[in-house]
Amino acid sequence: MQKPFLTVDGLSKAYGNFIAVSGVSLDVGRGEFFSLLGPSGCGKSTLLRMIAGFENPTAGSVLLDGADVTALPPEKRPTNMMFQSYALFPHLSVAKNIIFGLVQERLPKAEIAVRLSDVAEKLQLGTLLERKPSQLSGGQRQRAALARALVKRPKVLLLDEPLGALDKNLRAETQDELVRLQKELGLTFIIVTHDQQEAMTVSSRIAIMQAGRVLQVGSPETVYEAPTSRYIAKFLGEANIFEVASAISDQGLASVVLTGFEGRYRARLPAGTSTVGPLWLSVRPERVELVRNGEGVPGIVEDITYTGAQRRYRLRLATNATLDAVKVNSGGEDFQIGEAVAAGWAGEAAHLLAE
Amino acid sequence: MVTPKTMGQNQRLLIIPPFLWLGVMFLLPTLLVLAIALSSTRVGMPPYEPLFTWDGAMLSIKLNFENLQFVFRDGLYAHAYLNSLKVAAIATLLTLLIAYPLAYGISCCKHPWRSLLVFLVIVPFWSSLLIRVYAWMAILSNDGLLNSLLLASGLIDRPLQILNTQTAVYIGIVYSYLPFMVLPLYSNLADRDQSLLEAARDLGCSRLSSFWRITFPLSLSGIVAGCALVFIPVVGEFVVPDLLGGADTQMIGRTIWVEFFNNRDWPVAASVTVLLVLLLVIPITLLQSRLSKMRV
Repeated sequence: MQKPFLTVDGLSKAYGNFIAVSGVSLDVGRGEFFSLLGPSGCGKSTLLRMIAGFENPTAGSVLLDGADVTALPPEKRPTNMMFQSYALFPHLSVAKNIIFGLVQERLPKAEIAVRLSDVAEKLQLGTLLERKPSQLSGGQRQRAALARALVKRPKVLLLDEPLGALDKNLRAETQDELVRLQKELGLTFIIVTHDQQEAMTVSSRIAIMQAGRVLQVGSPETVYEAPTSRYIAKFLGEANIFEVASAISDQGLASVVLTGFEGRYRARLPAGTSTVGPLWLSVRPERVELVRNGEGVPGIVEDITYTGAQRRYRLRLATNATLDAVKVNSGGEDFQIGEAVAAGWAGEAAHLLAE
Repeated sequence: MVTPKTMGQNQRLLIIPPFLWLGVMFLLPTLLVLAIALSSTRVGMPPYEPLFTWDGAMLSIKLNFENLQFVFRDGLYAHAYLNSLKVAAIATLLTLLIAYPLAYGISCCKHPWRSLLVFLVIVPFWSSLLIRVYAWMAILSNDGLLNSLLLASGLIDRPLQILNTQTAVYIGIVYSYLPFMVLPLYSNLADRDQSLLEAARDLGCSRLSSFWRITFPLSLSGIVAGCALVFIPVVGEFVVPDLLGGADTQMIGRTIWVEFFNNRDWPVAASVTVLLVLLLVIPITLLQSRLSKMRV
């Protein structure tokens, strides 16, 4: 990552005894599409609102493009926010909503007109400019709200659950459009979302938050392929988690004994993870390979879900835990409910987690 | 939403009682007043000629437009009308100027305080208007509370003549009608969407400019409602100008009272009343249809 454009340093926010955000530090580069991902109540919106200036942090600072903006009110910050509710002004037309911030800046009329027609064209709002927000569909409102923030040419655009109110098809379409716009304009986007699929699709990097803290920051590939905790492994997609009885380092990988099972299994040992102390092994369902006779964790096929493109098998293991395996539908061999199988995986498909 | 088309038979029945009530208690008396306005004066009880007479074979209807013409011709009534409109307009504006910051302040308060403050606004309703106006007489009179305080503090050396002046009328009206302005404004302002104000701040507005560009225009419907609730009754207000006003406050409500009870000229009093109603109803109907068009 290049030199950080936005730096959040030790930012905290407490409401009385409740700590919403607890000592969060992040660096966001210029032109990044950065996601704050976490379940509701994890503090991601509060963090975004502190970056925008709506909440005063209890501790910590926000640096934007080299300047400390921590003490600045929202109207003095070079950031703009797209609100979850869109917050379009109901008494103003779409055009007046979009130019609201430019009028406040007292820009020349000619410049306002040029910027308005530019953004209206980019977001296909040309025919809707004279309408009131109440006369727009959900998708149109979303685009009007985006236009109103973009037209100010912010250094950082903050998006609070921008697609939360859209239906599924429109969501996917709008995700693509957001990514296209962000690339085209070269702007820095910070998006708050609770939808891990959405974060994976649009982001260059994701910060995963829980209970006011950032647990891991990384590219979608990093956080999915190399989660640093069981919580992240389960929060991003699905994971089969085994308790590790003992582990030794073996030729770059780890050789592991799983509690309740015989034999040794292989897994990646992330740098800095010790083989001593409580460990867990995590493997994604799509990386599990099922065989009739062979090495692996033994189990009985308990349930099969057919979704067309794939089959999902649920195995009941000897420890009474379950294991999920997903197979692409290749039209080939299939297993039956009640069949005894073994579940194995390639060494680099699984990894060890310390927490 | 329930529209007349989707409304069931039973729901339609529900609106009959209130309309029946309005018909008997409001429409019928109004028509009676109109009838009296169109009859002639006579000495006796009732002090007006019947409109319809039935002599056993023929029904005769006698309409007398002279009273209405008289009200138009005599400058006294026009003056009283105009003065009522002026007093009502100024009093409404004063009430608005006091009520808006009050309602805004209450709407900014946190929860338990809000309800308490709204309650305090309504508390005066618990005692009779007449008693409260008498209290103002005691406060404003030459040897009243206000003058005693001012004299004692040495700010003035002779009592101010406030009672029986236009000023006393404004004080009394603003005081009596304040809740009618505060409540619609409060309910409008309490509902305001905080995210709109945040959006305005985010787009570069200071607190003050976000008020003028967002809060104020969105509260216009509350302002219109509050002003209507104050202006309309104040035009015909009788108690306050009668008790607190002097010879210089000729308002239409008092004129009607004088015609009815001093001059016992019911047809002229009724004519003044009918014209007063028309004077208010026509512009308000026009305003209403304007507003409902604006909303679409």
